[in-house]
Amino acid sequence: MSDVSATMDLRRRDAADKLRGRTRYTVDRYLPGMLHAAVLRASLPSGRIVRLDTSRAARMPGVRAIVTAADAPGMMGIGIADHPLFARDVIRYDGEPLAAIAAVTLAQAQAALATIDVEIESRPAVLTMADALVPDAPLVHPNWRDYEVLLEGGAREGNVAWEATVVRGDVDAAFARPDVEIVESSFRVGRQNHVAFEPRAVVASYEDGRFHIETSTQVPWGIRNATARLLGVPASQVRVTVPPVGGGFGLKFDLAIEPFAALLARASGLPVRLVNSREEEMLTCLFRENADIRIRSAVTREGEIVGREAVVLMDCGAYGGEQIFLTTMTAHTLGGNYKLGSVRLVSRAVYTNTTPNGAFRCCNGVYNTFALERHTDEIAAKIGIDPLVFRRRNVLGDKDLGATGQVFEADVLRPMLDRMDTLRDAAASPPARTDGWLYGRATTVGTWFVFVGPSAATVNMNADGTATLVTSGVEIGSGSMMQSLPQIVASTLGIPPESVIVRAADTDAAGYDVGVGGGRTTVSLGAASLSAAQEVRTKLLKVASEMIEAAPEDLVMRHGRIEIAGAPGSGRTVAEVATRAQAKDGPVSGTGAFTGTGVPAMPGCVAGHFIDAIDIPVFAVHDCEVAVDPETGHVEVLKYRVVQDVGRALNPRAIHGQIQGGVVQGLGYALHEEVTIGSNGRVCQSGFETYRVPLALDVVPVEINLYEGAPSVGPLGTKGAGEVPILNVGAAVACAVANATGKRIQELPLTPPRVLELLLDRKRDLTLPHIAETWSNNLVRPHKTPQGNA
Amino acid sequence: MALSLTVNGDRLASTADPATPLVDVLREELHLTGAKPVCREGFCGACMVLIDGKPTPSCLTPAALADGCEIRTVEGLATHGQLNRIQAALEASDAVQCGMCFPGMVVSLTHLLAIRPDATREDIRAALTGNICRCTGYERIIEATLLALATK
Repeated sequence: MSDVSATMDLRRRDAADKLRGRTRYTVDRYLPGMLHAAVLRASLPSGRIVRLDTSRAARMPGVRAIVTAADAPGMMGIGIADHPLFARDVIRYDGEPLAAIAAVTLAQAQAALATIDVEIESRPAVLTMADALVPDAPLVHPNWRDYEVLLEGGAREGNVAWEATVVRGDVDAAFARPDVEIVESSFRVGRQNHVAFEPRAVVASYEDGRFHIETSTQVPWGIRNATARLLGVPASQVRVTVPPVGGGFGLKFDLAIEPFAALLARASGLPVRLVNSREEEMLTCLFRENADIRIRSAVTREGEIVGREAVVLMDCGAYGGEQIFLTTMTAHTLGGNYKLGSVRLVSRAVYTNTTPNGAFRCCNGVYNTFALERHTDEIAAKIGIDPLVFRRRNVLGDKDLGATGQVFEADVLRPMLDRMDTLRDAAASPPARTDGWLYGRATTVGTWFVFVGPSAATVNMNADGTATLVTSGVEIGSGSMMQSLPQIVASTLGIPPESVIVRAADTDAAGYDVGVGGGRTTVSLGAASLSAAQEVRTKLLKVASEMIEAAPEDLVMRHGRIEIAGAPGSGRTVAEVATRAQAKDGPVSGTGAFTGTGVPAMPGCVAGHFIDAIDIPVFAVHDCEVAVDPETGHVEVLKYRVVQDVGRALNPRAIHGQIQGGVVQGLGYALHEEVTIGSNGRVCQSGFETYRVPLALDVVPVEINLYEGAPSVGPLGTKGAGEVPILNVGAAVACAVANATGKRIQELPLTPPRVLELLLDRKRDLTLPHIAETWSNNLVRPHKTPQGNA
Repeated sequence: MALSLTVNGDRLASTADPATPLVDVLREELHLTGAKPVCREGFCGACMVLIDGKPTPSCLTPAALADGCEIRTVEGLATHGQLNRIQAALEASDAVQCGMCFPGMVVSLTHLLAIRPDATREDIRAALTGNICRCTGYERIIEATLLALATK
């Protein structure tokens, strides 16, 4: 279609301003006459509001508006609407909002908060999933039956917010075979904080009866719809625009503080700025959730996996949030790497009286890949087979079935493993250590997906030969909006990528979009943009063919000209044709829309899932070399190598940047980022002093090989590349440390104290007594298959 | 008490409370929003400015301490609209992602280039420990710094 390749080494257009400190993020926006807002938050994990009196606060200096639960009647959620904006009668986590105030200065707003008369009666709290799952545990949502169900199909009961199951084949029969070894592994992971550098921030105004929300978000349409739902107004009354975003990583894939500012703007009639403090960000972060995992496999002596079962408990905190949706992913993260005979999996989102969790880069996948790959090594050890040989034999290939019966296309993981062999062997072997440190290496595989979903794009052709791309996409730092999308449009129209103007997201201007995340920007927004650009191209070629007196099919668009193929320099400039078209028929524009078609699951195989199977699988192979100090338990990463399936790389340099960054974020998860919750229900890490993210001294340059050519329905064969790099870092590091130390690694992060405990054999095997021995005893509701209950 | 601040060469008077962190004076009073108060604990370096030539976290610096000092923020590092050496190298290396840490990163690296023209990769890594980046994994930033050092 295009005459110029979309593959380019395009540099980011937003870099120079960012490097000069000129870029105005949401935190940098100060409107004239703007008020400053602050939110009163509960300081206990479970309680009942006896009194909440704001009358004294209302008389405080500078105060212009106060809003509480009475102002926000709606409930939000995914799957089930369980989440009010402000606590109503019941407090479910430490940090839950109670009221919000707007005042002339932030200090005045904060001073006024302190005068709100609030009395809360403490109630018993459940702080862990183990506590939440004991019979007769206090219920985080005693009225869970009353909530509006937004998607049918998930089993729920008590503190089990949602349950999704997969059953394919006869697992009991597989485990009863006389020729199999049974391998069982248990794992636990903690929470991870995104630590996006820009905190969640919003400036809201109320203009001509509509809300205008400028916010640091990945999901403008999500914010529009959820805000309207909470405020009880039609969604069309909310406009969301998004300045450049200072980091997301999934943190900003959910509504946060926007409705507070919107309500205060309406109540005061003035623009309202609300910015989370770093402490608020640390304590109410929508963390990557903590999880408890048990996997059991039946494997023949020859190394065939004939049966697998797993129970995954995902802590959703006080509200269901994205974990409800993410229960779906277990089917693919635990059932998408290897060929399996029969399989049954249950993934349960569990309520606790803790701060709600949310999406984080490769959500659900990071810890399930850690668990699966450690489990795989334990299988290999038990049956006495080399772990890499075992992987090569069992990874999914062409026509193999995933857990839900999805048929995978093409051999991808196996050639990627070959590619890694070359990368690894070509690299120099590590220097022989004389310092007594323990050396270990591991290669792991991972399967992830592109979160497809609907996107829209419009391309307006300007008479000066430039094109304006209008979408609801947001530049969160990954470069998709600055590089891949303009590259796609430019190559379609044969103009320089610098001539493609990318419009910042505005829900009043662009069509619906699911949001920037899940590796979907280049795929979904890219496909919509490609389609819109193609419509423009067709229209321009038609006008040009009249001007040049040649058939449209004989024309090409390249280097800013529309010319006769094979006759460089012939024809007219794109600008001349666009000018002529505008005068003759009116301005030229094209629109594009895209969504995933959806891959069906085997009938009866899944229950409670939001998607049946994965539209665009993405594979990764990671290899890690570590040295472990036996005296201190400190793990040093010596080498890190990645072979990543990218479908087609439109901008290899940009993808390399994503991989280096994602791996380092994963190293933080694997080695030192730890969130703990105190007995008071409060997150213990309130700032950068207590929560350790990787520093420049902690990291190594990642050796990267991009694997191109795997099938993809993405535009021009692309797949999302920014999400996946973090997927199997925890797995690769854990397997390497296990190989170095000879110890059973069951938990992340591998902080020095934890590794030292393992080395000193002071760590007992992890047991998860709150996961029932018999798989089906973990279910709220039996999984009905066409053959009967499983 | 009125403060006298020299910011990016301009002498400015401020009526801010002397205890106000310098970063807030720069941002809210002088509208220089380059410096970002990301952690407010002096750990992340995103609010780094040069005070009398020395990189300093402006979140931990009361405005009174900067009284009478020469302050240079990221906005004042480009001369005649031209990016300085490290800025140009970071741009050429496609090192910038979300960009929130870069104002402080640029300040620290500008200083490093001035005082350590012979800095090695290890020196750069060590110098960057006061500037946290959550997006890039640092490698591009280190590469760009080496590039800037090589293009004197």
